[in-house]
Amino acid sequence: MNSILEIENLGVTFSTESGDVPAVRGVSLRVAAGETLALVGESGSGKSTVALAALGLLPGNALASGGVSVGGTDVVGAGEAELARLRGRTASMVFQEPATALDPLTRIGKQIAEVVRNHRDVSRQEAAAEAVGLLRRVGIPEPERRASAFPFQLSGGQRQRVVIAMAIANSPGLLVADEPTTALDVTVQAEILDLLRALAVDSGTGVLLVTHNMGVVADFADRVAVMLEGEVVETGAVEEVLLRPTHEYTRRLLAAVPRLAVTGSGSGTAVGKEAEGASVVELRHVSVQFGRGPRAVRALEDVSLTVRAGETVGLVGESGSGKSTAARVALGLVAPESGSVSLFGADLRKARGRARRALLSGVGVVLQDPVASLDARMSVAECVAEPLRVHRRGMGAAERRELVAEVLELVRLPRELARRGPRELSGGQRQRVSLARALVLEPRLLVADEPTSALDVSVQQTVLEVIAELQAELGFACLFVSHDLAVVQQFAGRVVVMRGGRVEEQGPTMSTLLHPETEYTRRLIAAVPVPDPVLQRERRERRVALGTEAGA
Amino acid sequence: MSVQSAGRWGLIAQFPAPLRARFARNKLAVAGLVVVALFFLFCFVGPLLYSTDQIHTDLTQVNLRPSGAHWLGTDAVGHDELGRLMYGGKVSLLVGLAAGVLATVIGTLWGSVAGYAGGWVDAVMMRVVDAGIAIPALFILLVVSAITTPGVPGLIVILGLVSWLVPSRLVRAETLTLKSRDYVLTLRAIGGSHSRAITRHILPNSVSTIVVAATFQVADAILLVAYVSYLGLGVQPPSTDWGGMLSAGLTAAYSGRWWLIVPPGLAIILVVCAFNAVGDGLRDAFDVKGRG
Amino acid sequence: MDTLLYLTRRIAQALVVILIVTVVVFGLLHALPGGPARGILGPQATPQQITLFNHDQGLDRPLPVQYLYYLRQLLHGDLGTSYTLNEAVSQLIEQRLPKTLVLTVLSAVLGLLLAIPLGMWQAVRRNKPADYVITTLSFVAYSTPVYFLGLVLVLVFTQMLRWFPSQAPQGDTVGQVFADPVALVLPVVTGAASMVAVFSRYMRAATLENLSEDYVRTARAGGSRQRAILFKHVFRNSLTPVIAMLGYYVPVLFGGALVVEQLFNYPGMGLLFWSAAQSSDYPVLLGCVLVISVATVVGTLLADVVQRVVDPRVKGGQA
Repeated sequence: MNSILEIENLGVTFSTESGDVPAVRGVSLRVAAGETLALVGESGSGKSTVALAALGLLPGNALASGGVSVGGTDVVGAGEAELARLRGRTASMVFQEPATALDPLTRIGKQIAEVVRNHRDVSRQEAAAEAVGLLRRVGIPEPERRASAFPFQLSGGQRQRVVIAMAIANSPGLLVADEPTTALDVTVQAEILDLLRALAVDSGTGVLLVTHNMGVVADFADRVAVMLEGEVVETGAVEEVLLRPTHEYTRRLLAAVPRLAVTGSGSGTAVGKEAEGASVVELRHVSVQFGRGPRAVRALEDVSLTVRAGETVGLVGESGSGKSTAARVALGLVAPESGSVSLFGADLRKARGRARRALLSGVGVVLQDPVASLDARMSVAECVAEPLRVHRRGMGAAERRELVAEVLELVRLPRELARRGPRELSGGQRQRVSLARALVLEPRLLVADEPTSALDVSVQQTVLEVIAELQAELGFACLFVSHDLAVVQQFAGRVVVMRGGRVEEQGPTMSTLLHPETEYTRRLIAAVPVPDPVLQRERRERRVALGTEAGA
Repeated sequence: MSVQSAGRWGLIAQFPAPLRARFARNKLAVAGLVVVALFFLFCFVGPLLYSTDQIHTDLTQVNLRPSGAHWLGTDAVGHDELGRLMYGGKVSLLVGLAAGVLATVIGTLWGSVAGYAGGWVDAVMMRVVDAGIAIPALFILLVVSAITTPGVPGLIVILGLVSWLVPSRLVRAETLTLKSRDYVLTLRAIGGSHSRAITRHILPNSVSTIVVAATFQVADAILLVAYVSYLGLGVQPPSTDWGGMLSAGLTAAYSGRWWLIVPPGLAIILVVCAFNAVGDGLRDAFDVKGRG
Repeated sequence: MDTLLYLTRRIAQALVVILIVTVVVFGLLHALPGGPARGILGPQATPQQITLFNHDQGLDRPLPVQYLYYLRQLLHGDLGTSYTLNEAVSQLIEQRLPKTLVLTVLSAVLGLLLAIPLGMWQAVRRNKPADYVITTLSFVAYSTPVYFLGLVLVLVFTQMLRWFPSQAPQGDTVGQVFADPVALVLPVVTGAASMVAVFSRYMRAATLENLSEDYVRTARAGGSRQRAILFKHVFRNSLTPVIAMLGYYVPVLFGGALVVEQLFNYPGMGLLFWSAAQSSDYPVLLGCVLVISVATVVGTLLADVVQRVVDPRVKGGQA
């Protein structure tokens, strides 16, 4: 067998301020020429470190041991000059963040040409012409014109295509892709994965795909290696590992992945009945504009939606769809320029002072970023107690402490956590503290904007379970914003699909997602990869038949 | 790292260990801290150990070279130069410290209000800052010196008024960043007031920026004090400061009486340097961006 | 189209700033002992003359009206007349300003030519002995009062070594100034020293920040060598924040010019200002303040425009 990448007993240790951290221990794996190996794991598993080690791109404070061989060349002991000859020619890498991956001040054609000229003795004009050809190959429309564009003039998906163009410029035998689509919208993700697959098949390139997304694995990989805390716990063909996992961790991981139901009539999932109660929050023909003059952005255009007492409404859409803006309008953080917003039956725009405060005391908020959602200078107890200080000023210290402890237990956190600081907590714990803070006043409405998007899949499961449990117990309504259709399907009774600032369609979750009415929703659902390789292959063929939009 | 609340304010009372460690690793910064401490001792404790008469002149001891009796020689009216260095140092350090802190306080208030308010209020307030920056400080100080001769308190106020502009920009930038942090947004969404957002979240989290700015402001202020005496705005005799000593000794320099200008010059350089090094070290330890 | 919008915005901002400066100067004018009357009539004026003058000139009218009069005067280029030199202030400034500009521009250019490569080199050699040495020297240069530095340079290079003259070129016009370039060396070096210290630090910080950016990693993954990355990518990106700082450094440069001109007896605006301060020649003082401030605002505007040209992403100025 011809292996383009051979890793033998790799160990990587980082020396940090707080001591030596072993990130990777005794990892061995192999990528054959032309095959795709997916390296899966959650944060801290060491998968990205393995990817960087393959190209000798580990940071200065990393110490690598063991053997890494790319196309026959040993990487671990190689000098910088030798590695530079390897990178971009024998092996290339595509990174996660397209927004920062390119030099903002150099035109993209030049950046691609640079990679060409690093390894081949061609003139500047020839390299420029090649760059245009590569842009065409990765699906950038009007490549001659676009070659002189700056990165900031391109969308995220287009930038990632440019990075891919740079990676394939010299027809490498190995392509390492570290979460290449994580920062992209799901429809764009599907297109980029299609592109990578086509390129790999065309040139017989071996691919090491690092990801945490099981759906992507099912869509793309031939073989899978699962990593946990620096070690590989399971390896095998993709169907074997994903459908018949043997290791305990793999099983747990797969069980925690929210699965998008794509067939069936809609029984067995979704919490939250079709509530007929009073409306808790209602947006009517709301339009929002940011900025003025020719550069104004219409964030929302004639958006109407309602959340009734006790129900969960999922607000889904891709980036730029306006879903977060809509949530902020509901919270009173953004003032619409037209339309009305009512909270618990009262007009939010007209409410002022004490009346407004009283209204807002019935709302709990959980936002996306676990790091920024809690003020690190306050203890957990102080963070959770903040709504009490705003709305129940007369409350005594002892009573407050007791209430905080109760709420922490409600979100399945130990009482003792109250004394600690946010910096000592994990992401999942922080989001639960955020949740505790949101629930301490027993709100009638919980607004959650991507509350679990920044968390690992297993942790995400816990947090979502807690929210669902508490909702059943306390009966609050929930406006749940997410880009993850599977999560929304599991969680929300009704769903509102947004696109470009408008409501695309809305209705009961199961019927809307299983039998969508609009073209866009159909495409959106088709683009979400499911962690079942057999099923995913079928869906992919159907999706391609449906046709995709040009460019990304 | 443990979080300790100090009373109602919920601020972290102690310097967390990792910060102290990071600062300690910056040798230049630690050296600066030591130099500052030494100079304070020199100027305030020194005269207790080595007392000289800085008020009355002694025309029999004029312009003597450094010797056993007068380690740094004497000046044109007979004062012992070493003692004068301590005496002048008190003024330089105190005025510099007070003016630097005053400038930071004014700048923090202005910058945080502008940053938090946003919109046209911010625009107007920042235009005022731009205007203030556009007028070189030395020019304004010279104009003031032509009009009046202030005492020490007046001097502190004038220096503070000339220097608050840079900290205001830094604090404004920090406020803008903090204003859109999730925990502030959450507070506003549940009905928290503006004042709570500023006092409980924005200002405490700006402390590192403010402390770094203050350190650099003190460095700048001490330097500015040195210029001010040169320009004739300084304290009146027999009181003096290092800048005044330099100014008085300038003519002497050309005739080879180096001991009148080298000590005060070196003192200024060392102290300002030290404060700058400390500020640099603090900024790296706190990981704050930018120096005005 | 975008650039035009940006330019208009920036110019409007600059005009507002200049307006505020005129208010400040106007305020100072009226804070003077004796007021502007004494300014025109001289220190010997009698109280009756002053009252008459005040009434004549409309100085007993409300302040806002007087301010408008003042603005109109300014727009006609009238900055008043010097007490001591008996010439129109605008005339004096017209004669002296170009020479100061020569000094400041030369200092700035020298400063940047030295600072930028130095800063980059320091970033590459971070925390090695060379970095520490240069950092320490930068701190020292930055912490030294300009007049002290100038004094030391004069003592060493003119008295001890006798390489340069102790006076700057004395000519009336810019051409005459350049006729004696050797005499320009010390003043320019003195003016540039602090700038080298400050800007090498900025460049070092900017370069360090850019070296840890993602695009450097992408270039390395493509096989580019460290040196090529440094010059082709990091350098351009590091320049942007440094150029932004340049705008704010212009007033410091002028302040430095003030001291340097006095020290080296260079007949520019700084020296004019200095002598005016000694003789309480208020019209000259305030006229200079106004002109220098306007020059600073224009300088900042230019720096912003250059920044926008270098970095096409720059959308608007600060608020």
